[in-house]
Amino acid sequence: MMLQPILGSANAERVLVFILARDEGYATEIARFFETDLSGIQNQLEKFEVGGVLVSRTAGRTRLYTFNPRYPFLMELKSLLEKALSFYPEEAQEKLRLNRRRPRRRGKPL
Amino acid sequence: MKSIQEMTQAELCAFVQSHLREKGINVVLSGGAAVSIYTANKYVSHDLDLINLYSVSRRVILDAMKQIGFIAEGRYYKHPASRFLVEFPPGPLAIGAEPVKQVSEITCSTGILRVISPTDCVKDRLAAYYHWGDQQCLVQAILVAQDQSIDIQEIQRWSEVEGKLAEFEHIRVKLVSDRR
Repeated sequence: MMLQPILGSANAERVLVFILARDEGYATEIARFFETDLSGIQNQLEKFEVGGVLVSRTAGRTRLYTFNPRYPFLMELKSLLEKALSFYPEEAQEKLRLNRRRPRRRGKPL
Repeated sequence: MKSIQEMTQAELCAFVQSHLREKGINVVLSGGAAVSIYTANKYVSHDLDLINLYSVSRRVILDAMKQIGFIAEGRYYKHPASRFLVEFPPGPLAIGAEPVKQVSEITCSTGILRVISPTDCVKDRLAAYYHWGDQQCLVQAILVAQDQSIDIQEIQRWSEVEGKLAEFEHIRVKLVSDRR
């Protein structure tokens, strides 16, 4: 974790870096990606939403989070996160940016 | 002084703000309630968004609100005698990426109401329209522009800073037509 001393927790960095890399995210996939406790990620997402950093919307039963475009420090925050992400191991960067968002037909064999 | 039940939205807001100021808590009204006040309730919002300028803790706000009879329910504060809900979104007081530098003051019988200016109110609504395509917020911006004196050049400058000059040009005529 690069920004933990500033952000105060590893989960804060996980959430922000994940959303920076993929534009949006939900608690289960972030927790699964970082192999960490779901409730910690959920709490952090909620904190960022209450603080105006993130906004959420529901898609089916999933609550999707994105950056709040009206957050006044968004540009600066993203710059900081981009820099932090560039210090991650290349493999981790690629994995974070790997993002399947296109639809998958139900029942399609792998 | 009027009872809380009899207070208009602006009077209630001024009352709450004045009480909080005495406790060292500085808040400014923004959001839909500012639209209600600037349009004489052509648009009605029952939420009072009091921006918590200097991130005073929830505990301090809770204690101060309790003293005037408000009860916390989740993010909101309710008073048994009022239909209005009070919320304290976190600061800083900003419209888009820029801080708000000037705040309007309206004197009410219940205290002084501190509210974002009509021009900033239009920008605040336009931010929701620009970033989320919220058509209701565009309508609210137009209502404020019709009823209040606004600085259209400033709104244009700000829209450009937000990277939304083309969107502004598209709606400009709606903001400047039918002005009263």
